[in-house]
Amino acid sequence: MLGFFGTSAASDLCHLQLGNGSVHHELNRQNNYRQRSVIRCCSTARGRTKDYYKVLGVTVYSTPQEIKGAYRKLQKQHHPDIAGYKGHDYTLLLNEAYKVLMRNLSRHADGKTRAGFGSGYTGDGYSSWNGPVRSQALFVDENKCIGCRECVHHAARTFAMDDDLGSAHVEIQFGDLEQQIQLAVESCPVNCIHWVDSQELPMLEFLSRPQPKEGHGIFGGGWERPRNVFAAAKNFAKRLERVEQELEREQSSRSHGNADCEAETEAQAEARRRAGEELRWKPLVDVWNGLRGWRKGGTDQ
Amino acid sequence: MGVLFCRMAEQLYTVASDSETTGEDKSQPSFPDVAIGIDIGTSKCSVAVWDGHQVELLKNTRNQKGMRSYVMFKDDNLSAGVTGGTAQENAHEERDILSGSAIFNMKRLIGRMDTDEVVQASKALPFLVQTLGIGVRPFIAALVNNMWRSTTPEEVLAIFLLELKALVEMHLKHPVRNAVLTIPVAFSRFQQTRIERACAMAGLHVLRLMPEPTAVALLYAQQQQQQLMHDNMGSGIEKIALIFNMGAGYCDVAVTATAGGVSQIRALSGCTIGGEDILQNIMRHVLPNFDSFYAGQTMDRIRSMGLLRIATQDAIHRLANQETVEINVDLGNGQKVSKVLDHSEFEQVNWGIFEKCEKIINQCLLDAKLVPEDINDVMLVGGCSRIPRIRSLVLGLCKKEVSYKNIDTLEAAVAGAALEGAIASGVTDPSGSLDLLTIQATPMNLGIRADGDNFAAIIPRNTTVPARRDMLFTTTQDNQSEALIAVYEGEGERAEDNHLLGYFKITGIPPVPKGSVEISVCMDIDAANVLRVFAGVVKPQGPAIPPFIEVRMPTLDDGHGWCGQALAKMYGKTLDLAVLPKKLQP
Repeated sequence: MLGFFGTSAASDLCHLQLGNGSVHHELNRQNNYRQRSVIRCCSTARGRTKDYYKVLGVTVYSTPQEIKGAYRKLQKQHHPDIAGYKGHDYTLLLNEAYKVLMRNLSRHADGKTRAGFGSGYTGDGYSSWNGPVRSQALFVDENKCIGCRECVHHAARTFAMDDDLGSAHVEIQFGDLEQQIQLAVESCPVNCIHWVDSQELPMLEFLSRPQPKEGHGIFGGGWERPRNVFAAAKNFAKRLERVEQELEREQSSRSHGNADCEAETEAQAEARRRAGEELRWKPLVDVWNGLRGWRKGGTDQ
Repeated sequence: MGVLFCRMAEQLYTVASDSETTGEDKSQPSFPDVAIGIDIGTSKCSVAVWDGHQVELLKNTRNQKGMRSYVMFKDDNLSAGVTGGTAQENAHEERDILSGSAIFNMKRLIGRMDTDEVVQASKALPFLVQTLGIGVRPFIAALVNNMWRSTTPEEVLAIFLLELKALVEMHLKHPVRNAVLTIPVAFSRFQQTRIERACAMAGLHVLRLMPEPTAVALLYAQQQQQQLMHDNMGSGIEKIALIFNMGAGYCDVAVTATAGGVSQIRALSGCTIGGEDILQNIMRHVLPNFDSFYAGQTMDRIRSMGLLRIATQDAIHRLANQETVEINVDLGNGQKVSKVLDHSEFEQVNWGIFEKCEKIINQCLLDAKLVPEDINDVMLVGGCSRIPRIRSLVLGLCKKEVSYKNIDTLEAAVAGAALEGAIASGVTDPSGSLDLLTIQATPMNLGIRADGDNFAAIIPRNTTVPARRDMLFTTTQDNQSEALIAVYEGEGERAEDNHLLGYFKITGIPPVPKGSVEISVCMDIDAANVLRVFAGVVKPQGPAIPPFIEVRMPTLDDGHGWCGQALAKMYGKTLDLAVLPKKLQP
């Protein structure tokens, strides 16, 4: 039946009938078509992971079964077989979200490192890059952000407002001209936009999203995000490294027996680990200390 | 005339839907407009409807559910296999079909060019199939009063569908308008348009064309759902099923993941082999000089070939239950065939066919990223699934002892089509037995010609439908102002190896050095499997850039073998495109 529709009429119809504001931008096919594809060409698929979780109504901790279940449930409501042609665009979005999320999941199914602890962490950032990856990246401390939209105003392609959380975040790194970005950074009234090391960006972006709180019985639990994301990142990196090392040790003991393990004493290993860590986190700590110093200065004034 | 009328009917229908008069439609339900399910097989055809509670397979006046697919040409009246014509006995019917005055195997011929090997193989059929080997439609004719009368596969199919429609209307006592048809996975989009054309000629509107194994998958989803409701177990766990469907003309495989009444097609593959090939192999085996013996179609040769065909077919059927069979036919002219055929010989003769089956099953599992151990159920459907060797081959590849039992080999596909018809017509069932969905996947790569003669796939095969993908291309010449978008479908690396679906030009590209323009080509497939291609210049932007072009594919009507060559000859490389590498690989 649908095959015989006048095509333009059909797509107009779907525009009229879609009232959902959050997905409307995604769905707006023809009017915004050019603009959309421009964004598309410089953003990778995973650049929009954040939206995909929202689309399927799942969390970063959802198991593949939960994601599949949510996908099927939504398909049953919106699939064009059931909802008619107006379901077309929404189903496209569902399909894309499902594909990306399942791919992400299969990616960390390979290494079981992060099972349990930090299980949503993929090592990929949530923001995408315009142009080549640079050493510095932009990061918005969403805890401090007051949602003034100044940054979005000055550099609309780089920053985006998350209306649910009431804070801004970086959508595309270097999405605008450098002057515009600089202007946006300077315009922030609470100075919550930071230049960070590109390597730390994924971790910071991961941690700045709400995490489930460990509950004790009926107390606690729920969702929170770290009050100080930089300190949390430091902590997180330590734990991550420990887990990785444990796994490595386990593997080496399994593959080579215990002979190789004794080549290095515990103390040596500890020293090596600490040195490596220090080297790795020095820039971050510097930034943190600098920040703290700067803030003290600010309050003194 | 018939076509014209139907096109008008379509137009009227489109207008009614676009102006959103659905509310009005609901206020006067003259009859429940539920789409019927039709399975047009190469050899047999069946039709089913959702009667409000369950799927009902309709029987013809001779109490058959599976009706032989053929159209008999006699003097001025035509009769299709739905009613069985005048013949009362099956043996008589079969002999009449093979007399040259009936056209059958329409599904193998429809939408194919005369260079196609399937069409070449059809020359061994009793009616006339004339080919010129230049990539045009073959000439098909039936024998009427010792004269070949020409027809087309579409026309034959339309006559058959018309009779089928009459049967359904007689049974339901109200007019039927919409239908869901099952098609083989290997059908090209061009062939699909031919099926749609035939349906339009018969006054049927095609609501969906669904690949046969996916129809079976929907039936399976319903059975799983009912089982769960019966056991009261909630949504249940996901079950993976492999569906192998082999009929007289085509062989299809699908892997589906089913849970909660939703059957998600993970992978599809298919090819054009079937019982007809097995039959011809055996015929050539028992009569080594088959081709020279039947070189010209004279009346006595047609008759004797008919006899051989019947005897061979019968032998193959009996071989499913017997160790050995004997083929004894007197072909006239002193030629006699007398042969004892056993399983090993049968398998040896059809070795190539079994190998191809194995290939597409492995391909399907590979595409679905699954191993045989993941499969919960194996379903064998279609006439050829009765052949012991095929059964053992499929079960062996899937590492299963037995196949899934609750489905009928010949009726599963049509029952699934009727279910889909009810769902897509918006019927709901309070008991929840229509709370189902099939999430389809594309069986073939879709893309355009780029980088010389290469094929750039924009929507890869087994992409979930509805699908929309875009890709960026750039010019290959300095100051190139026009670019040709030639849309292809298929598995080949080179564009030429695939089916050309259509082409159009992007004009008004700004005069800049090669490689600096960005042309976006976006493909969109909706749930009804309609392909639309959007293309236009995205960089540089500005008011001087022409608007995007939207084209519904396929646009080609006929002789598509020629178009690609003609385009290459006319324009050479002046309108070529190159794939623009992605700026940042994920």
